[in-house]
Amino acid sequence: MTKYQTFWASFRMSMLNFFVDPQWIIPNIIAPFIYTAVALMFFGNVSSSLALYAVLGGGMMGMWGNTLYGAGFALAQERWTGTLEYVLGTPSRLVWIVAGRSSSSALLGLVNALAVLLVALIGYGAQLGIANPLAFLLALVLTLASLSALGVVFCSAFLLTRSAQVMTNGLEMPIYVASGSMFPIALLPFWSQPMALALGPTWGIDAMRYAAYTTYTGMTGFGYWFNILVLFLSTIIYLTIGFGLFIVVERKVRRDATLEEY
Amino acid sequence: MWLVQLLVMPLFEMAFFVYLATFVSPTITSIPFIAVGNAMQVSASASIFAVCNLTSEEKWQGTLIPLIATPANRFPLFLGRAVYQIFNGMATITVGFFYAKYVFGVDMSRADFLALAVVILITCLAMTGFGLMLGSLGLFLRTAMIIANIFLFIGLLVCGVNFPVTDLPVWLQPFSYAIPMTYGTMAARAAVQGANLMMLTPVLLQEIATGIGSILVGYALFIGFEILARKRGTLEEF
Amino acid sequence: MSERPEKAIVASELRRAYTTTKGVFRKKHITVEAVKGISFDVDHGELFGLLGPNGAGKTTTIKMLTTLLIPTSGTAKVLGFDIVKDVMNIRRRIGIIFGGERGLYYRVSGRENLRYFADLYGVPISKRDKRISDLLDMVGLADRADHRVEGYSRGMKQRLHIAKGLINDPQLIFMDEPTIGLDPEAARETRAMIKGLVEKGKTILLTTHYMFEADELCQRIGVISSGNIVALDSPSELKRFVKDITVVEVEAFGVADTDLAVLRRQPDVTTVNADLEGERQTVRIQTPKGSEFIPVVTKLLSKAKILDVRIKEPTLEDAYLKLVA
Repeated sequence: MTKYQTFWASFRMSMLNFFVDPQWIIPNIIAPFIYTAVALMFFGNVSSSLALYAVLGGGMMGMWGNTLYGAGFALAQERWTGTLEYVLGTPSRLVWIVAGRSSSSALLGLVNALAVLLVALIGYGAQLGIANPLAFLLALVLTLASLSALGVVFCSAFLLTRSAQVMTNGLEMPIYVASGSMFPIALLPFWSQPMALALGPTWGIDAMRYAAYTTYTGMTGFGYWFNILVLFLSTIIYLTIGFGLFIVVERKVRRDATLEEY
Repeated sequence: MWLVQLLVMPLFEMAFFVYLATFVSPTITSIPFIAVGNAMQVSASASIFAVCNLTSEEKWQGTLIPLIATPANRFPLFLGRAVYQIFNGMATITVGFFYAKYVFGVDMSRADFLALAVVILITCLAMTGFGLMLGSLGLFLRTAMIIANIFLFIGLLVCGVNFPVTDLPVWLQPFSYAIPMTYGTMAARAAVQGANLMMLTPVLLQEIATGIGSILVGYALFIGFEILARKRGTLEEF
Repeated sequence: MSERPEKAIVASELRRAYTTTKGVFRKKHITVEAVKGISFDVDHGELFGLLGPNGAGKTTTIKMLTTLLIPTSGTAKVLGFDIVKDVMNIRRRIGIIFGGERGLYYRVSGRENLRYFADLYGVPISKRDKRISDLLDMVGLADRADHRVEGYSRGMKQRLHIAKGLINDPQLIFMDEPTIGLDPEAARETRAMIKGLVEKGKTILLTTHYMFEADELCQRIGVISSGNIVALDSPSELKRFVKDITVVEVEAFGVADTDLAVLRRQPDVTTVNADLEGERQTVRIQTPKGSEFIPVVTKLLSKAKILDVRIKEPTLEDAYLKLVA
């Protein structure tokens, strides 16, 4: 089986499971939704450029929340339903199965972005204009990829713990803050900025802002294409780390017999 | 894990809004307002979420049926477990205020700490009562998680945590006043600025009333749902 | 490239220990050895059974052989590949059927479940859909294939498990308690399917705690008890192990546990097995004395009401009881 067949099968199954019970996404998009609502209150009736900040941020948070959920909770669920064993018993590499699931979750997180957008447009009468739609789309797609790959890395940790759900809650907020989803990372204490820069989605959001505003100076000043490059590289790096981690994880799980525990 | 939740989450929750406000410089609020408000709000996850989970978790693990079958009075059983959550909430808020002063620079020089302590205690009690009401919903609905999530975060928007309730659209404000936290944030801010217990009594009484009201509603719901659930046989579904 | 390895499975001194912790504050580590040095082999085309009571180590053994668990010590080769080092080569070629309520995606259809696993096993897309249809026909799920699994009966889920376990057309199939929890008809159908698979040339290793099932299906049986193999032979040979034993079977009611204890103390009694639940009780006594023992029984059970006494041929169950005792 090629990794594509595995990835696509997992992606598809993840989507199928979602559409069967779509309500499960609601918990993940409530938080970003409310955060954006508060942010929009802060922004008040300001120009469209700042409103876009809030909407982009909210969307980003939604994608992140759902990816974490997809990686963390879904694996725990696999354990509960007893399918994790069977999945491990196939000749497919676990990392591609998780990548498929993670990507599906990130994509579904876009739903949140849409909800937030609707609220901003209708509720706050914000006017949003994107200067360069194609560039925006490219940045968005690559951000999704980077986010999915990051989900794979975290997932390997979740496979080892029984409390995947608790970890999901614990990781969300730090990422929202650290990735500068709604405010420039320049505001963060200087010691945390390297951490922020290590996260692919930080560059992704920055790239999207470049594409949206013509006058945007960006967090590093190196421009849109530099961000795109970093995004691309981050995806590769995360996947490589994930690949390595999963080999370790798989071996550990087989040694410690933790596949079936509740 | 518990330690992570206690120390890390409040910091980041507060940081998010403080940094956002620093960025935007909104007209409707200020950093100290936000810091104190969020310091109180961080307990929400302890009181609401955990209590609501009490019923969902037990449903999942199949222990609810034996529990319902015991002659022990059911509601106090849940209440007993909620007490732990109250202490958890208080600890979290204390951590929150620590961050408020030392990380976000809130001036606490005039604060009446006794009054503040009382405010924290009453808020945790009242919010736990509120959480128990949500927990009763969990007995019946499969979507208790959604309700819990909504109420967990809705406080950020409607409880005067990040900006005054009066800035909300008028139709939304009655909801604010039904949630104990709204009074809690008001009282906390006043205490930080030096108000003593006497001055805070009216607000605190309103908060206590809201809390008790929630518990009563919760109890009624509990009994009602228990009857319905037994009728419909949904206790085991998850 | 590779010639077929001589044996389908070769296990050598497999051991598996589990460590659990006891207590909250001062954690004590307890090590339990579930499998204590198991060695056996299985030929190609054989239907081999691992028979034993719950907790004997059957499931642990099968999980080691299917690469889901790493043994604490010992080695094994499945289809010529090492279970620790050559994992992917094994997984490609084997089928795993653990059965039960878990292990399926409830919210999607049976067909979707099969499709997912077909992809994970790398079944070529050109062959996939046809194979799925063929398997669904074989297990009799064709008409419910597109319904959600959560609506399937226990027997249907088991059948889906079987289809899933065959999705990659494996040479060697591992089945852990395949008929557990099934009603008699479904169990019968499952056993028929298993026999059919062997006729097609597949190699099967199955575990069970049903004696009659092992007797009916298996060409050779390994009797496993407390983590060790206590006997390994064909069913007929195992029965010969008790050929000197006859079984006195008593149907009665009013037999108490104390009566059984008295029986067990008798010098000529090997084992006493009783089913005291329900109105009609059955007591099976293994003794070399045969019919000579009947008066003894009648006297010892005089307080009960005896309905019938029969002499029976020892079955595999009796051999098993003797081995496991």
